Amino acid sequence: MTRDGDPSVLLDLADGLLHRADPATAGLWPRVSALLALQALDAALRGLWERRALGLQGCSMQTQLICLRSYLDDAGLAARAGHSASALHRACHHHPYELAPTLGELQDWLSVVRELIREVAPAGRSS
Amino acid sequence: MDPGILGLVSSRLEADGSADEAWATLVLAALGGRDAIEAVLAGRGVSPRAAAPRTSPVPVGAFLQSITVEGFRGVGPPQTLELRPGPGLTLVVGRNGSGKSSFAEGLEVLLTGDSLRWKERAAVWREGWRNLHHPAAALDATFLVEGESAPCVVSRRWEAEAAFDGARVAVQRQGGNGSDLASLGWTAALLTHRPFLSYNELGSLLDEGPSKLYDALSSILGLEDLVAALDGLQESRRCREKALKETTDARGRLLERLRDVDDSRARQVTAVIEGKEWDLGAVEEVLAGVAAGGSGTAEVDTLRGIASLEPPAPERVAAAVSEMREAAAATMSARGSAAARSRDAAAILELALRYHAAHGDGDCPVCGGEGALDGRWSARQGEVVTRLREAAREADAVHARAEAARRRWEDLAPLKIDALKRAAGVGLDLGELFGALGTWVEAGGISDLAKLADHVESASGPLGEAVVRLRDAARAELGRKEGAWRPAAVEVAAWLAGARDAVRGAGDVKRLKSAEAWLKKAAAGIRDDRFAPIAEKAARIWDLLRQQSHVELGRIQLTGEGTRRRVALDVTVDGVEGAALGVMSQGELHSLALSLFVPRATLPESPFRFIVIDDPVQSMDPARVDGLARVLETAAEDRQVVVFTHDDRLPEAARRLDVAAEIVEVTRRDASVVELRRALDPVGRYLEDALAVASTADLPGAAAARVVPGLCRLALEAACMEVVRRRRLGRGEPHAEVERILGRADGLTRLASLALFDDVERGGDVLPHLRREGSPAGAEAFRQSDEGTQELPAAAAVELVRQAGKLAAWLRGRA
Repeated sequence: MTRDGDPSVLLDLADGLLHRADPATAGLWPRVSALLALQALDAALRGLWERRALGLQGCSMQTQLICLRSYLDDAGLAARAGHSASALHRACHHHPYELAPTLGELQDWLSVVRELIREVAPAGRSS
Repeated sequence: MDPGILGLVSSRLEADGSADEAWATLVLAALGGRDAIEAVLAGRGVSPRAAAPRTSPVPVGAFLQSITVEGFRGVGPPQTLELRPGPGLTLVVGRNGSGKSSFAEGLEVLLTGDSLRWKERAAVWREGWRNLHHPAAALDATFLVEGESAPCVVSRRWEAEAAFDGARVAVQRQGGNGSDLASLGWTAALLTHRPFLSYNELGSLLDEGPSKLYDALSSILGLEDLVAALDGLQESRRCREKALKETTDARGRLLERLRDVDDSRARQVTAVIEGKEWDLGAVEEVLAGVAAGGSGTAEVDTLRGIASLEPPAPERVAAAVSEMREAAAATMSARGSAAARSRDAAAILELALRYHAAHGDGDCPVCGGEGALDGRWSARQGEVVTRLREAAREADAVHARAEAARRRWEDLAPLKIDALKRAAGVGLDLGELFGALGTWVEAGGISDLAKLADHVESASGPLGEAVVRLRDAARAELGRKEGAWRPAAVEVAAWLAGARDAVRGAGDVKRLKSAEAWLKKAAAGIRDDRFAPIAEKAARIWDLLRQQSHVELGRIQLTGEGTRRRVALDVTVDGVEGAALGVMSQGELHSLALSLFVPRATLPESPFRFIVIDDPVQSMDPARVDGLARVLETAAEDRQVVVFTHDDRLPEAARRLDVAAEIVEVTRRDASVVELRRALDPVGRYLEDALAVASTADLPGAAAARVVPGLCRLALEAACMEVVRRRRLGRGEPHAEVERILGRADGLTRLASLALFDDVERGGDVLPHLRREGSPAGAEAFRQSDEGTQELPAAAAVELVRQAGKLAAWLRGRA
C-alpha cells in the first residue's frame, strides 16, 4: 500500500461494505462506502498525474475530471467518471433532507470507479 | 343492526310527530330488513327489534408492538420493526427501494389479505409480492390489545410455491387461538376506519370521483343500516310497482284476447276490467259461473236449461195411454150395473133429502104423491141412501180412476214455457217444437178418455222428436261457446291471481313512498349530525397543512344519495368561492385527503389505536411538511402514529419544531438484506457513525483515517444547516428562500460562514472566529474534518470525533 493508499484496496473496502450484513455497520455503511469510494477515485487520479508528472494533484476534483477527458481514450468512461465523482461528492456532504445513497446507486458509482482504476493503472499491474 | 340507529330513528319519528303515521311502522320495520317490511305490509306485526340482529365480536383496541417481514416485497431475510406500543409518533425513514414500504404494505396485507395500492395496478405488480432473494415468505405483527396482558400475534405464512392468496393465517391471542382474522373483530373496522394510508391511496381518494369519496367517508358514520333500510323500502316499492305494471300490461293482452272470444262471459270480464278500476270480484264470479244478473250469463243458462230438456219417455207414454184405455173400458163395463144404478139412485135420494130438509114436508116433486115427504119418509130414505152408497162404491172407484187417467198426459211433457220463450232469444229455432206442442195440448179439450188415449199416443212421438232436436241444437251451441271460452277462462284465471296480488300491493305503494321519503330525509339529517365533528377536525387539520396555500377549505358536507351522492367541499381560492378541486396542486390534494382521512382513522370507535401513513410528504413543499409534523404531533397525543417517509424533510421538521418523534432508519443492502436502526438527528448520527468507524468497525486503520474526517464533516455540515434553518425560519423567512440559500452554500466552510455570520461569503473568517470564540481544539477539528488528514492513529480518530461533537454542539448553540 502506498502512502496515499492503493485505490483498488480502498474500493474493495467500499465494495465490501455493500455485500455484508453486519450489525456493527448497520445503517452507516452507505456514507462510509461513499467516502471510501470517493477517496479511491481521488487516489487513482493522483496516481495517474504522478506517473505522468503532470502536477495536477493539488487541483480541484472538477479540474482533474476535466483534464481526465484528455488523458483517457475512452470519452464515455471519462463522462461516467465525472458523473460518479460528483454523485459521490454529493453523498459525502450533508444536503438538506437527503438520505444516504442506496445500494443500487453505490453499486453504479463503484463500478465506474473500478473501471477507471483499471484504465489508469500503471502497466504490468492490475487490480 | 346497530341498535343506536333504531333509537335515533324512533326518536326522530317522535320528534317530528310522525310516530303515529301509518307508514311509521314501515320505517322501523325497514331497519330490520326486507322480510320485516313485507311482514308489516302483510299485516303480521313484526317488531324491528325481533328481526335477526347482525352480531359481530366486540372489537378490541390495539397498539402495534412490532411488524416482522420476511421474503416479502423489498425485504429478504426476516426483519422486525419494533415499535413502542402506545401513543406517540414514529418516523420510519428510508430511501425509495430501501424496503421501508414493505413494512407498511406487509401490515396491510397481513390484516386485510390484500393491499389497496396494488388494486389499480397491473397483475405483474401483484405477482411481484415475493422477494426474489428469499424463498420463505411470512408476515407477523404483534399487537398490544387493551385489557389483555399477553400480546396478540397475527401471522401469515406462505409455503415456498404458494400463491399470494394461499397463505396460512394464524391468530394467537390471550384466551384462545384461531386461524381466523375475523376472530379479532376487525373486519368491518378495517374498511370503515382503515388505519393504513399510502401515498397512492391519498392521491386516488380524490381522483376516483365524488361518489367514491362519499363512500369512503360515509362508511365511518355507521349509516349502512340506514342505507340498507332505504334500499329495502325501495325494493319493496319497486317490486309492487313492477307487479302492477306487469299486470296492467297483461291486462292489455288479455283484453285483446277476449275481444276474439264470442262469449258473453268474455264480454262481461272485458266490461269489468276495461276501466281504470278493476272489479276483480266480478271477474271471479264470472269464472265461478255465477250469473251476475246481466243478460250475458243468462244466455248460457238458457242454453243449459234447454240442453237439459227431456222428451216424453215412451214407456211412460205407453203406461199412461194403456191406463186411459183401461179406465175407459172399466167405465163402459160399469155402466148399467147394479152398482151404477145404486149410485144414481143414491144421488137422486140425496137430492130429495136435501129438498125435504130445505122445504119441509110436502108433496113429492117427482111422482106428485100428496104428503109423500114427511119426517118418517126422511128417516126411512136416509137409511136407504146409506145402503145405496155402500152398494155404489165400486162404481165410484171406476169413475175416479177415469178422472185420474184423464190428467196423466199433463205430466208427460213438463215444458216451461218461459224457458222456451228465452230460447228464441239465444237463436234456437222453436217452430217445430211449438207445432208439436200445439197438437199435444189439444188433449185438454178431449173429454172422451178413449179418444184422449189415441191423441196422446199419436202426438207424443212428434213432440218427443221436436224436444230432442231443440235440445241437441242447444247442446251444440253450448259446446261451441264453451270451446271458445274455456281456454280464455284459464287465461283470465291466471291473470286474476296475479292481479289480486298486484292490486293489493299497489295499495301499499303510497305508504312505502311516504316511509321512504321520510327515512331519506332522516338519514341525511343523521348523516350530517354524525359527520359534523369529523368535518370540523378535517378543517382544523387542513388549516395546519395549508400553510401558504391560497386554497381555503370551508364546509365539508356529504350530500345527495344514490348515484348523486358526493362530498361537497367548499373550496375558496384567493377568496373566490366555488373553485373546483382541479385548481389544487398535487400537494394540496394530498393534504386535503390527509385532512379528511386522519380524522376518520382516529375516531374513538375505531379499535385501531395506531395509524400507518406511507409517504405522505411526497409532493409536499417544506412549509406544508411543517404543518404535517404538527398534525402528526396532535394525532400522536392519543394514537400510535407510524409514518414511513422517503427523505429527511419530515424528521427535520419534527426535530426543528420539537415534535417528539422516534426515528427509525431503513437501509437495504445486497440480496434484500434490510437493516433498521434507531436514528438520532443527522448530527448525532454522523458522529455516532464516525465513532463506530474510529473505534470498533473492522476497517483497517488507514481506511478509518480516511473515513472519520469525512463523517465528522458531514456532522458539522448538518449542524450548520440546522443552525441556519432554525434561525432564518424563526425570523419568518419563507421556506423556499431558506432552502435556496442552503443549496448555494456548498461545502463546510461556506455553510459555517452562513451559520456563524449569516453570510455565505465570509469563509475566511470562520477558522479565526472558531479559535477566538470557541476553542483552538474545535477549530483544529473543523480544519481536519474539512480537509481530511493523511495520518490518523486510532486514538486521534476518536479524539477528532469527540472534538467535532463538541464543536457541533457549540455551533448549534449559535442558532
